[in-house]
Amino acid sequence: MENRTTNKIKVYRAMHNMTQEELAGKAGVTRQTIIAIEKNKYVPSLELAFRITRIFGETVENVFQYRK
Amino acid sequence: MNYKQFKKIKALTASFIAATVAIAVVYNNILLAIAGVSIGILFLFLVRKKTKAVLEDERIQSIGGRAARLTYAILTATIAFLSLIFIGTGRQTGEDGYELLGVILSYITLFSLALYSLSYKYISKKYGESDDEQD
Repeated sequence: MENRTTNKIKVYRAMHNMTQEELAGKAGVTRQTIIAIEKNKYVPSLELAFRITRIFGETVENVFQYRK
Repeated sequence: MNYKQFKKIKALTASFIAATVAIAVVYNNILLAIAGVSIGILFLFLVRKKTKAVLEDERIQSIGGRAARLTYAILTATIAFLSLIFIGTGRQTGEDGYELLGVILSYITLFSLALYSLSYKYISKKYGESDDEQD
């Protein structure tokens, strides 16, 4: 199935001056998972999406987008 | 310890187990094989417990699930196919050994299918599947 979800995690990470390793540690996942999400190769669960967006102090809609 | 270091330790432990089992096979010593495998598993268990890095997350679990399903599908189909070949060969040649092996493999296939169905039902129930209709 085609992946229709995109995200701006890389942008928000740069804005918060955060490495992939740091974000992974705060979100409770491996760095490989953050890399996969950033490359849109893996769509995170709703729970992980909430965890990541809360780290940036943003809403899910701001960080994740769904193409129709 | 980070994830990369853990992966290295895991690979080293796997090499240790493989070497021990190989030596045990050469010297025909089952105790050495059991000891090697037990020590390896125990060591990995302790390392896993000690490490604070995240070693498993939802993506890794998802990959593991898909890999397990693919392995199950290939293995079950292969065993079922082999069982048919053995039964056919046994009936053609008249050797009971082949047919018996085929029948045993058939039962293993059935057992595997039953186990998959049961574990699927159990996990499905755990994640909220229900026959009750909701308003």
